[in-house]
Amino acid sequence: MIQQVIFYLFAALLIFSGVRVVASRNPVHSALFLVLAFVAAAPLWIMAGAEFLGLVLVFVYVGAVMTLFLFVVMMLNLDEVPRSKGFVRYLPFGLIIVGLIVTLMLNVIDPSHFSLHVNAGMIVPQHHSNTKELGLMLFTQYLLPFELAGALLIVAIISAIGLAFRGPRARKVQDPSAQIAVKRNERVRLVNMEAEKKS
Amino acid sequence: MQNRAGSSPAFGTNTLGENVLEQYFPILIFLLIGAALGIAPIVLAWIVSLKRPDAQKLAPYECGFKEFEDARLPFDVRFYLVAILFILFDLETAFFIPWSVVLRKIGSPGFWGMMIFLTLLVVGFVYEWKRGALEWE
Amino acid sequence: MLDPILQLLWIVIKILIIVLPLLGVVAYYTLAERKVIGFIQLRVGPNRVGFKGLFQPIADGLKLLTKELIFPTKSNKYLFVIAPVMAIAPSLAAWAVVPFSPHLVLSNVNAGLLYVLAMTSLGIYGVLFAGWASNSKYAIYGALRSAAQMVSYEIAMGFSLIGVLLAANSTNLSDIVMRQSGGIWHWYFIPLFPLFLVYWISAVAETNRAPFDVAEGESEIVAGFHVEYSGIMFGVFFLAEYANMLLLSILVATLFMGGWLSPFQGIPVLGALFSFVPGILWLFLKAGFFAFVYLWIRATFPRYRYDQIMRLGWKVLIPVTIVWLVVASFGVHFHIGPWFS
Repeated sequence: MIQQVIFYLFAALLIFSGVRVVASRNPVHSALFLVLAFVAAAPLWIMAGAEFLGLVLVFVYVGAVMTLFLFVVMMLNLDEVPRSKGFVRYLPFGLIIVGLIVTLMLNVIDPSHFSLHVNAGMIVPQHHSNTKELGLMLFTQYLLPFELAGALLIVAIISAIGLAFRGPRARKVQDPSAQIAVKRNERVRLVNMEAEKKS
Repeated sequence: MQNRAGSSPAFGTNTLGENVLEQYFPILIFLLIGAALGIAPIVLAWIVSLKRPDAQKLAPYECGFKEFEDARLPFDVRFYLVAILFILFDLETAFFIPWSVVLRKIGSPGFWGMMIFLTLLVVGFVYEWKRGALEWE
Repeated sequence: MLDPILQLLWIVIKILIIVLPLLGVVAYYTLAERKVIGFIQLRVGPNRVGFKGLFQPIADGLKLLTKELIFPTKSNKYLFVIAPVMAIAPSLAAWAVVPFSPHLVLSNVNAGLLYVLAMTSLGIYGVLFAGWASNSKYAIYGALRSAAQMVSYEIAMGFSLIGVLLAANSTNLSDIVMRQSGGIWHWYFIPLFPLFLVYWISAVAETNRAPFDVAEGESEIVAGFHVEYSGIMFGVFFLAEYANMLLLSILVATLFMGGWLSPFQGIPVLGALFSFVPGILWLFLKAGFFAFVYLWIRATFPRYRYDQIMRLGWKVLIPVTIVWLVVASFGVHFHIGPWFS
């Protein structure tokens, strides 16, 4: 019973914040509702048995990705966008994409999985670790996709630097270690000379 | 406070849903109580504190003059770069976690697979370093 | 119908048993900070309120509670109020999985370490919200500095936790402690010494404490992200910071110093002599030591420059963790040494 209550609570929160992401006119509000959407999705994933993914959703998407989004959106000081601009024009494309995604998801995830009980009803030992199960699959059966993900990540690193990095600037910096390492002989030259005498 | 052997009569077995509920329900309550402990003093202070606002008091802090532009200025792009690199490294961490707890079971392919992955990561990191993307002044 | 309500009540009571003493300790930790730093600098610290200043935190709290709450012009009121709550809720909720002794843990989550990681990564939101909602330049600079810094050190922190996972073979915090049993030489700070150092340095940086406190460097940007906060709203930020410090102290003790295990375990005479000491006391002693080190560091080191902080995070700590991760994983895979078997 309590599972249902929690499920519907977070599902409602997720749908509400999802709608607000699209409907908000202020980009900062949109980004904040996206954060809320991720936070609301995490308990649902955990309840569906994907404990590791639920926590990773919080610490990668909420802790990292949305931080970047907020950085950008907050500091660019974007103005509020008028609501209906281009709505009709982009509607068909939006609907086509939504349709494609829904078909794809229905193909991958059979509708018979659409229930809280499918995974939740599974009998598992008390110390069942979702993380270990995932690791066992990922690093044996799915090793190649994992390596491809690694290749994708390095491409992302390089392209991020290519896009956002404008090269080192002409900088005037001190090098403390060089300053400390200076020897007396490099700076001062001691000269022996005779004292001048009044002629 | 919670017996590690679990409260279910059949020792060691449970449905996944019960497991999750038993583990995460207290956490949910804890989060709510944590938030409440943040809100309560603010509400209390709102009730008991005096309220005598004036324009000068409410003005944002500045060095002795009235602010003449919005504080939310466009910012140095390097902060964004740090955030992007952080996301990528965070993802690598997410891959490392399941690997590190099953390393004893997955044998050589899994081990060397991760070493290749790690090499890719190090190559990216060295590239970053050599390009000077990690320099701050 | 009565049963679930009783269960809920029992959970709430258990949470309050953790949280209320925690808040008390946090309050007295602020006094301890002023006293310790005072003594290090040959002063006496606060000594007027109550016996030797023992009522100082209560007086501070009452003062903050009665001060006016100021909402700056053009600030975003909702976010301005939410920010301190966002700072304190995760730093308290992370305590849910801390194992105080073998059977004393609120929720023995299997992915406990991941949960802690997720909660600490949420701490950045309080800072970002506060900086943006205040609409003040100093607040925004402080928030950006602090966000970039926390983000950079979180990587090193995550990598050093992976070292612990490698050695312990479990994400459950109680299991990690149990894996270290058998004597002080089994504690992870020995085989994972570089990671232990990196974790502790990142812990200091993550909480924006001296010498990494450029986020609120008072000589540069006044008070950083909470410059516009007054009264108890500032107080909530303050509580969150100290709760976080205590959390990280207890985590270091749990992950690297054997948690509730006795340091005399496995030593012939001393082990039996000290076996009456409850595990929770050892844990608190260890955590207390690290909490003291926080203050010691603050009283000892001058503040880093921002570029030095970023250099230390990216160019020193991350390479060190990567190298030691490789060492540890080779140790585990090829069964080298007594610790990685």
